[in-house]
Amino acid sequence: MKRLFTVVLVVLLSLALIAGCGQQAPAPEGPKDEPITVGFVYIGPPGDGGWTYAHDQGRKYLEQQLGDKVKTIYKENVPEDQESEKVMRDMIDQGAKIIFATSFGYMDHVANVAKEFPDVAFMHCSGYLLGENYGNYFGRIEEPRYLSGIVAGMKTKTNKIGYVAAYDIPEVVRGINAFTLGVRSVNPDAVVEVRWTNTWYDPAKEKEAAIALLDAGADVIAQHQDTAGPQVAAEERGAFSVGYNSDMAAMAPKAYMTAPVWNWGPYYVKQVQAVMDGTWKPEAYWGGMKDGIVDLAPLTANAPEGSQAAVDEAKAKILSGELQVFAGPIKDQSGTVRVPEGSVLSDQEQLEMKWFVEGVIGKIGQ
Amino acid sequence: MNNGSAYVSMRDITKIFGTVRATDGMNLDVAKGEIHALLGENGAGKSTLMNMLSGIYIPDSGHIFIDGKEVKFSSPRDAINAGVGMIHQHFKLVDILTALENILLGQRKGLLLNKKEHETKIKKIMDKFHLEVDLKKYVYEMSVGEKQTLEILKTLYRGAKILILDEPTAVLTPQETVMLFRIMRRMKEQDCSVIFISHKMNEVMEIADRITVLRKGHTIKTLPKEATNPQELTELMVGRPIDLSIKRVPKVTDKRVLKVRNLRAVNEEGVEVLKGIEFDICAGEILGVAGIAGSGQKELCEALAGLYPVKEGEILFKGENLVGKTPKEFITRGISMSFIPEDRLGMGLVASMDMVDNILLKQYHHNKGLLVKRKPAAAKAQEIIKKLDIQTPGINHPIKNLSGGNIQKVLLGRELDSHPELLITAYPVRGLDINTCLKIYDILNEEKQKGVAILYIAEDLDSLMGLCDRIMVISNGEVTGIVDARKVTKEQLGAMMLGKKEDEYAV
Amino acid sequence: MQFRVVRKPDVTQKQYTVIMLIAISLALLTSGIFILLLGLNPISVYISMVNGAFGSPYRIEQTIILAIPLVIISLGIAVAFKMKFWNIGAEGQVIMGAFCASYLALNYSYVPRPLLLLAMAVAGFLGGALWGLIPAFLKARWDTNETIVTLMLNYIALKWITYLQYGPWKDPNSLGFPKIANFTENAILPKFLGVHLGWVIAVILVVVMYIFMNHSKKGFEIAVLGESYNTARYAGVNIFRTILFAMLLSGGICGLAGMIQASGVAKTLNVDIAGGVGFTAIITAWLGGLKPPWIVLVSVLFAAMVQGGSFIQSAFGISAASASLIQAMILFFVLGSDFFTKYRVVINFERPALKKEA
Repeated sequence: MKRLFTVVLVVLLSLALIAGCGQQAPAPEGPKDEPITVGFVYIGPPGDGGWTYAHDQGRKYLEQQLGDKVKTIYKENVPEDQESEKVMRDMIDQGAKIIFATSFGYMDHVANVAKEFPDVAFMHCSGYLLGENYGNYFGRIEEPRYLSGIVAGMKTKTNKIGYVAAYDIPEVVRGINAFTLGVRSVNPDAVVEVRWTNTWYDPAKEKEAAIALLDAGADVIAQHQDTAGPQVAAEERGAFSVGYNSDMAAMAPKAYMTAPVWNWGPYYVKQVQAVMDGTWKPEAYWGGMKDGIVDLAPLTANAPEGSQAAVDEAKAKILSGELQVFAGPIKDQSGTVRVPEGSVLSDQEQLEMKWFVEGVIGKIGQ
Repeated sequence: MNNGSAYVSMRDITKIFGTVRATDGMNLDVAKGEIHALLGENGAGKSTLMNMLSGIYIPDSGHIFIDGKEVKFSSPRDAINAGVGMIHQHFKLVDILTALENILLGQRKGLLLNKKEHETKIKKIMDKFHLEVDLKKYVYEMSVGEKQTLEILKTLYRGAKILILDEPTAVLTPQETVMLFRIMRRMKEQDCSVIFISHKMNEVMEIADRITVLRKGHTIKTLPKEATNPQELTELMVGRPIDLSIKRVPKVTDKRVLKVRNLRAVNEEGVEVLKGIEFDICAGEILGVAGIAGSGQKELCEALAGLYPVKEGEILFKGENLVGKTPKEFITRGISMSFIPEDRLGMGLVASMDMVDNILLKQYHHNKGLLVKRKPAAAKAQEIIKKLDIQTPGINHPIKNLSGGNIQKVLLGRELDSHPELLITAYPVRGLDINTCLKIYDILNEEKQKGVAILYIAEDLDSLMGLCDRIMVISNGEVTGIVDARKVTKEQLGAMMLGKKEDEYAV
Repeated sequence: MQFRVVRKPDVTQKQYTVIMLIAISLALLTSGIFILLLGLNPISVYISMVNGAFGSPYRIEQTIILAIPLVIISLGIAVAFKMKFWNIGAEGQVIMGAFCASYLALNYSYVPRPLLLLAMAVAGFLGGALWGLIPAFLKARWDTNETIVTLMLNYIALKWITYLQYGPWKDPNSLGFPKIANFTENAILPKFLGVHLGWVIAVILVVVMYIFMNHSKKGFEIAVLGESYNTARYAGVNIFRTILFAMLLSGGICGLAGMIQASGVAKTLNVDIAGGVGFTAIITAWLGGLKPPWIVLVSVLFAAMVQGGSFIQSAFGISAASASLIQAMILFFVLGSDFFTKYRVVINFERPALKKEA
């Protein structure tokens, strides 16, 4: 008993000492001319070389562009549960006026916290909820995915392409469909087989899924994951791969061909500027290639002959608006026409997409 | 003062445990080829002093010289390297290894053991000291005496020239004690020094050359055996004049309180440990139980107390069969029987708890409701402290910090407090000093006079013969005789303890 | 030269204080070097940690929210540890408690709030209790190793929730994202003085458990049994029933903590509902000497360390791993110092005595 008392006393004294020193330190909250604090909630570490890396590049771009006017804080590896609410509250406690929550699973939690703090602007990436002070933003990654599908479709010899996918949510389903449409635009016999991992960030598990697909006869691997695990699998097996989020050439120099990539920086600058100017309004932003938020990474030497020309041609059509990814006719897996000739899927329909196009092997909602 | 002839010399040794000065400036000189007895009550500092000589404790201050050179030990290995070896009461042997393997254990000389070479060396030592050990025998097959001899051999093999024996006779039969003394004398002839810790006066007088008396952390006096007598030694030990004789009060009644019939029990391995034990105890009688350690005494006590499964037979307490009843039923149904187990801190008491909680142990079943009542227990504790003269800093002091004698008094005090009609005591004076022993004999006699039936299990034949009315000898789970304590001789008891049925001694 | 570890006799109060002070200084110094390597000023990071844990009412609230499960689970663990039953399955007991409470929350959301919350608390207690009874029964009946059994049951509980979250309990409205539906208002613990009601439950439990462990018959029997099996038998303790009862209580309290986490913090059930707090609580229970009032203090300090560690991550842009490393170093030194209160290291520069020829 006595002994424990000593422990506690010693700890308390040390704390008091540190806290005492703390009196001289300036308080973190400052007057008006202080920079505006922007908080970023990350699902993975910025070093993942994928999704979070892309967002962190955007954060750095924001700091670079706005300089002294902005201060950014971030927290990595934030799980998509109650913990994310605590992280957001902590950031607000530390002075954040704008919060970018960069994973789908944060959606409900953003809404919860946003209601508690009406003065703070929240932007949630990849979701669909919209409220007084919270909006969502995303990019039409389907467009570069479609282009990457062209590359994959031209490359495959076995006519089977493996696709390592995170969760069967509309965002991922849409990507698979766009990719498959791209594949089949140049190679109508090819199929795309999907494996779900139920993780965003688990290098080992994602690599395993890719290996299973390669074992099943695929010779090109595409992915909707935040790590380069599937790329590494393709590299090791001498197959080819399409990355995601950012240029993954370094991880798989002999396999990697290209990747649909994000470029969040300009959007972040625009939003933060709007908040500072007092002109910000919550919106559901969904930019495409012509807005610069998404793009296809440069093709490497692994890409098949003639693919550069094919991609360039399709890309020009997308930029001009001549080509729309989800323009009919599109059949689903059962062969039923879901989008008739002459019509295009509306944004709402795309946001709620829960079916696969013809050519996809895989199930939703298993 | 530097004794020129001293082989071992300890000067001004002080060791402090917490706030207690276990040894306070102690001095000791032991000559070559001498059997030197360390005599003292519990807590006098005998074991502490010897633990420092054997490297288990490090003295806080003072010097140790061996053969004129100062040494500093920080482990038993240092001590053995300097030729000091200690035989503890609890043997440090591995049961599942043979004698030879035990001797070679922990000898890190080279990667491969050259058994043959070692064996010849060991045989040489055995011849030199007249030790009889079957090197191929497994330790678990050995008797206590054999184990002790093995320990001595092991220590000598490691190069000990100074051997410390910590109360070695406590676990031996009279015959085995004779053997041990023979070995000790042989070691003396071979120029080894033997330090013999004991509080058994007769043994000290028999074997020692010189005797050093310790008391409360101080060296009182070193005397040659010829120049002293038990009375003087006892007075030096205790610090005041004392009457050494054990009183025997006459048996009070012939009313039989406990009848045990054909009691049988098997242990976990399925070996029968009690083989049809039968005996009676009368109110106001002390029935002694003698036997070599492990002859079934523990199982008998526990079976009587409802703690050991009985296979067959009857335990009739005032006509009621107790077989199958739990200790809780004993306590709550007012069956007035008390059991003082041999393992005080392992069974009778909770070492880390204070006196109040230990008294509560036997009371809380009677408390009504969900909560325990500590107040009555605390009052009891105070009462027992006064009645039995227990030395303790207070009733809220963990009992493990008390001396052995005081711990035993706590246990005894608690059990007597329930005014039992039958008292079972297993080794109540084991490890206690003379003064406390006498006190406990007095208490038992007092109870006897009140008409309590007492089953008294002990290893010390003197106390059995002095205190009891009758002695039941058990060997290997069987009763080999129930004899009149006034008429029997030690030799007869020893023979029965070894299994010889000597019906002619029975009364 | 040789090193040797030597047992020390009891240390005095003063020595103990010195050892603790050295441990904390060393912890701060070592992590300080690490922080310097990160290119930051250690002093300001430490100040910021304290500031992050106690610097504003909001931060104190957050620290308390973190401390609530630590306190409650530590109390549960303390009951088992008092009996020397090494229950390291608190994590699983928390999860199963949360599971049972969530079952009610998701299926009976129409029940009035006080009634539903009460039913959830009972369900949480029972869920944890049953999960604790399994190893208790196995131990009492067949003397199995409770450490392994309780540890393994954690994983079973965790995988069970994973199965539910990705399978039958997946929220149909989440567009395929594997999450269990949020609780409705009726199933959420209301706030009291800024923090969910869990803290009131924790305070009550601390008092109740203090009385239980120090003044109740059962608590006394558990303590006796923990100290000595044979003495417990001797004193007439029913060993079988006592083991079962103690684990029922231990698991039940952990299960109740699970209910509080689900209802007060997560507002749903998910695989991270316990999030390792069942293991952390072992440390706090132990450092708190298994004594309820001290458990509260240690838990709050521990929660402050976690909250402060979280604060410095965003305040200084330190990675999550680095922040954990700093916390781990502090813990390592404080726990490690315990060794030096019991032992000391002796260095010999020469052999103490030469062995003579035999």
